[in-house]
Amino acid sequence: MDVSAATIVAAATTTETGLRLMGAGLAAGLGVVGPGVGMGLLFGSAIESIARQPELRGEIRLNLFIGIGIIEALALYALVVALILLFVVK
Amino acid sequence: MKVLKRLPIWAWAVVVLAALVGLLLLPGGHKTTFDVAGEFTLRPIVKLPKLGPIDLSITKPVVYLWITVGLCCVVAALIHRGLTTKPSHFQTVVEGLYELAHDGIAGAVMKGKTATSWFPYIGGAFFFVLLCNLAGLIPLPFGADNQLAFYAATGNINVTIILALFTVVFTHYAGIRRYGPVGYFRSWVVPAPPFLKQFIFLSDVISQIFRLVSLSVRLFANLLAGHFILAVFFAMLLVFQSYFIGVVLQVGSVAVFLFEIFVAVIQAFIFAILSAVYIGSAVEEEH
Repeated sequence: MDVSAATIVAAATTTETGLRLMGAGLAAGLGVVGPGVGMGLLFGSAIESIARQPELRGEIRLNLFIGIGIIEALALYALVVALILLFVVK
Repeated sequence: MKVLKRLPIWAWAVVVLAALVGLLLLPGGHKTTFDVAGEFTLRPIVKLPKLGPIDLSITKPVVYLWITVGLCCVVAALIHRGLTTKPSHFQTVVEGLYELAHDGIAGAVMKGKTATSWFPYIGGAFFFVLLCNLAGLIPLPFGADNQLAFYAATGNINVTIILALFTVVFTHYAGIRRYGPVGYFRSWVVPAPPFLKQFIFLSDVISQIFRLVSLSVRLFANLLAGHFILAVFFAMLLVFQSYFIGVVLQVGSVAVFLFEIFVAVIQAFIFAILSAVYIGSAVEEEH
């Protein structure tokens, strides 16, 4: 994946390569929708519960970080599929 | 460390000038393309013979793993030497991390006796993964053409599979030691109507097998994606080739680098706390 301006245009010349790149783009793009919505819900609930009971800030923050780590892993599974399509499949 | 506060201003100026001279003299900077994927292919640095199917030559992840082990030993030796009741900055940081691992991870998830007996593994895994992730942000001359490059040892699927294997093996070992081999697998069965019972058992088995995949791929993909974004930020300068965008990219690169430090700490914490949850749930009393 050379990133000089001249080689970006010359990369996708065959239909096969084009479809492969499009598949990678779709995988990485659409795969982040679900985890994004999930993280938004998670943060919303966390902020609302901190607003209800500010003395539980520390415990809620702990569970918030655990939730971030687990949900972010799902988005990164989609990225791994995209990387496999880009660099492993010939 | 106290010695850093005593350096006068001229010493810092000498350090900055030496860094600038070193950057001028280092190889690189003459290319007009940057092969981003080339940062992640592994070339052997010292070629050693193959032992059966295992290639023993020293590559980038091997060197970074040695650096991490060296860092762990240095931190442990420094802490062992100078424990005082009025702690220095270094001791405060390491004590804070230890308290996070002991009370925040092992103590919060596992019950009392399990926490004390499994804390050596959980704390060790936390510190090792943390130092491994942070050592990936030290630029060393192992890039293409011996340029300075970042590379995290845990950004390699082989390293993270071994770390996740430790957790999975210890989970089953803890469960079998407590319940006996047959009793441990029987503890996965819940009382339920007959057809549903087999289905729940099957999905339990699949989720146990998937734990290895998810633990390793989570750590690996987070660090790989982070370093990839870092490399692309550095490479975008060669695509745009303009000074104004270069200045903007400097700010962006610094921001991404700081985010990488945050992700490194979070991922170490997640790995340790999920390991604690898995080991704790294998040892618990009832389902």
